[in-house]
Amino acid sequence: MFDSFFQLLFEYRPVVFSQGELRFAAWGGSYVALVVAGLAVAAAIATYRTTGAKLKLRDRIVLAGLRVALIALVAVCLFRPVLVVKAAVAQQNFVAVLLDDSRSMQIADHENGAARADFVRQEFGAADRGALKALSDKFVVRTFRFSTAASRVDAEDELTFAGAQTRLGVALDGARQELAGLPLAGLVVVTDGADTAEDSLGESLLGLKSQGVPVFTVGVGRETLPRDIQVGRVSTPRFALKGTTLMIDVMISQSGFAGKTITLDVEDEGRIVGSQQVTLPGDGSAATARVRFSVADPGARLFKFRVAPQEGELVTENNVREALIDVRDRREKILYFQGEPRHDVGFITRAVRDDANLQLVLLQRTADNKFYRRNVDNPDELTAGFPKTREELFSYRGIILGSIEAGAFTGDQLQMIADFVDRRGGGLMMLGGARSFSEGGYAGTAVGDVLPVTLDANARSPQLGRLTVRPTRAGAAHGITQIADTESASTERWSFLATLEPKVTTLNAVDSIKPGATVLLSGVDESRRERPVLAYQRYGRGKAFAFTLQDTWLWQMHVAIPVEDMSHEYLWRQLLRGLVDGVPDAVEPLSLTDRVEPGETITLRADVVDSSFVELNDASVVAHVSRPDGSILDVPMQWSGERSGEYVAQVPAVGTGQYEARIEATRAGQVLGSTVAHIRAAPGDAEYFDATMHAATLRRIADETGGRFYTAAAMQGLSEDLRYTGRGVTTVEERDLWRLPIVFLLLIGLLCAEWAYRRRVGLS
Amino acid sequence: MKLRSRRYVVRMLGLALAVCATAALAQDFGGRSRRGSRVIAGEKTPYDGQFAFARLRHGEVALFRGEPPWAHDYPRAERNFARILTELTLVKPHLDSSSVLTLDDPELFAHPIAYMSEPGFWTMNDAELEGLQRYIQKGGFVIFDDFRGEHWYNFQEQVQRVIPNAQLVEIDPDHAVFHAFFDINTTDTQGYYGPATFHGVFEDNDPTKRLLLVANYNHDLGELWEYSDTGMVPVDLSNDAYKYGINYVIYAMTH
Repeated sequence: MFDSFFQLLFEYRPVVFSQGELRFAAWGGSYVALVVAGLAVAAAIATYRTTGAKLKLRDRIVLAGLRVALIALVAVCLFRPVLVVKAAVAQQNFVAVLLDDSRSMQIADHENGAARADFVRQEFGAADRGALKALSDKFVVRTFRFSTAASRVDAEDELTFAGAQTRLGVALDGARQELAGLPLAGLVVVTDGADTAEDSLGESLLGLKSQGVPVFTVGVGRETLPRDIQVGRVSTPRFALKGTTLMIDVMISQSGFAGKTITLDVEDEGRIVGSQQVTLPGDGSAATARVRFSVADPGARLFKFRVAPQEGELVTENNVREALIDVRDRREKILYFQGEPRHDVGFITRAVRDDANLQLVLLQRTADNKFYRRNVDNPDELTAGFPKTREELFSYRGIILGSIEAGAFTGDQLQMIADFVDRRGGGLMMLGGARSFSEGGYAGTAVGDVLPVTLDANARSPQLGRLTVRPTRAGAAHGITQIADTESASTERWSFLATLEPKVTTLNAVDSIKPGATVLLSGVDESRRERPVLAYQRYGRGKAFAFTLQDTWLWQMHVAIPVEDMSHEYLWRQLLRGLVDGVPDAVEPLSLTDRVEPGETITLRADVVDSSFVELNDASVVAHVSRPDGSILDVPMQWSGERSGEYVAQVPAVGTGQYEARIEATRAGQVLGSTVAHIRAAPGDAEYFDATMHAATLRRIADETGGRFYTAAAMQGLSEDLRYTGRGVTTVEERDLWRLPIVFLLLIGLLCAEWAYRRRVGLS
Repeated sequence: MKLRSRRYVVRMLGLALAVCATAALAQDFGGRSRRGSRVIAGEKTPYDGQFAFARLRHGEVALFRGEPPWAHDYPRAERNFARILTELTLVKPHLDSSSVLTLDDPELFAHPIAYMSEPGFWTMNDAELEGLQRYIQKGGFVIFDDFRGEHWYNFQEQVQRVIPNAQLVEIDPDHAVFHAFFDINTTDTQGYYGPATFHGVFEDNDPTKRLLLVANYNHDLGELWEYSDTGMVPVDLSNDAYKYGINYVIYAMTH
């Protein structure tokens, strides 16, 4: 529309003005005309100065100005202004046309319900029709199709629109390199712009800019789909302990379904394991749904987060997201060091007794230098009390310190506990008690630094506080504090527990948390003061919890709580699972993605440390890769050289299916450890996510390279614009400007304006 | 359990003498008048997170000293025991107060360890039965003490009411309850009323699981605690009594 109007007034396309250079092709008569014009201007000024004494000064200025402008415009035209442009010589230059061959082009959101692919076929499918014909009349056209990479297309039927990815940058690089050395007028990219590549476009655009290759982009499809629901980002952990309850945030965006309530289901291998009702917000806004489910079966599980297709949806493939979670079935060993006997110990150990994935090793100090041990693996374990070496301490994955004063540890042991969190990546929890936190002398110690709460440097004597405990906003939605089967039931349960008398108690004056810490449970004491009860923070590679109560057993024993109630058990199981969640092994797989495209390369990465969790760069690391066809490939992993302890290997994903990599590390004949990682080789569905036409991306490509962006409906001037990129074999053309319609209109306009003004002031 | 009649009679005679003697001693050294039948109110320690000795109250018929069976050795037994407990271990109990609670008292649930004296005279109404059942099911631990002879049959019957199909078994000396603090390597020991035996009921009748209750048959730890500071009972006996008591508490707190 704009282009047509512009061309009506200025005769040429905007690109001619932007590329062209303004010059004057004056002739002899021009200077005579200039003198005549000067005289005419003087006469006009003199006339309006003397004529009509009744005119106001303002009127005289306006009338004189209009006359002068008219004379000046004529004078400029007599100097023959021209635009000098470089125009491509027909059939002497090349143009690369890149056609998006990915799956998203099958979306039928073009005019009259046609697919994007239909438009591409119609306009660019053959050299004898549509836009490709217009280009072929002026240029030598090379056509490429692209999804993952760019490749030449010779016939229309080679376009399949089945590519699983859209990699714009790779496609642009590929075409530029293939046509390197040829007189290239520019690149034409016909796409929806839904780039699925992880790499940024920046480098590709830099390459094009450095060579001065303009890219003309044609956006196909709509910028918003009229009716669509999309399951967007799903944040899942790569690993989870069997039986853990996960609370997963799922972002749902939509258009055309504002206010509608839909159900988000979680499927584990076809079985629904969790559901959540979600009321959709207004168009353009995203809703975050928190869905809860348990990972009950071990192994690499493919979970699907699905919203059933709704009526009128153009794209239903984006209603489901997949996530691979490695569900580990093993016993996580936690050391519970309790400084004084009290009822909570028995209730905590009993709460997790039936959890086959938790081993709570109890080291109970019963008297000075006298310990009672439970659940140890062998008679020698912990016989000397709390571990004195890193190797011994780091064999646990979590530590609970229950009312044990800092003075019970040596300085090295306190540092070891801090290192346990910081370097080993373990979980630390301090429970409330007369010998905990500030009251236990932890302020200023290495352990005090790790804790998520601030400690008063002045040692205090324990003060009893009776607390009404409730989950915070973060806690209400956190997996750890879920004490019933559903989130609403859990909230209700917490509200009930808050009503019980006697109340749970604390002896610790913990009033505030450290920056970055999160409070999951808070309590209000008798003086209405709110205090953090359960808080956590990440520290180094691990995390630390502070749980200031000393008698959560009341939530089990209280007379008002039914015998069959599982609140206490749920709390401690989730708490201890949260404590060891994500704690790394001596050999720990690192992976940025759980899926690669078939035919791509799987990059295996692993961190390797010794029993003290010191990174090793001289270990022998081998990945035994089980491929989908049952064959096993042994791939040595090399130290990456980028980071201490990081080993890397490349494995080609030749077939579709699941790859299991058992990574084993040895050093000097000693096994350091092993781990298992799972990666899928499967076509991705990223094409259907954010599958609208991305005008901003395409406009950016065009702007940064000196090209132009068109929508599919307004690309008539494409071939003409390409003529004036100034690249390739060109001729210099002069375009007269004096005969533009806009000049004629201006002349008429000035005359009319002067005449009308004169009438208004009574001169004619 | 086998009771051999001749030895039983001899022991019963001995017991009767012992009871008379201790009753007299109690009057002299107990610190309070025990003449005549009377009702003992019994105190309650408000919950504050600290361990308080809890004595179960059952039946109000006065026996022997003019006091009901639940109150035998109250309160000196628990006071002395609390002092020894805090002296030897890191448990910090209330030293000058304890709780006396009926089986249907809601406050019982704030005391996960409870002590019952003279279960030979123990009876329960429906509310008490339900109260104790819920207490044990939730994690409460009960110590039965001070009974002998045919008291066993009443005790056994009441336990069966509380825990249907419960198997009262003699606890093996290797069991954790005998090693939680002190190593009590043999239970072949002289009780207050003769050779003592220690019985228990395990959760699901499975000896690998938690002990729900312990019973000191032919023994009276409470009596020995009560008089341990008088010199009127053998030091060895009172020492052993404290060992058992402390082990019970540590076991209950850690299991």
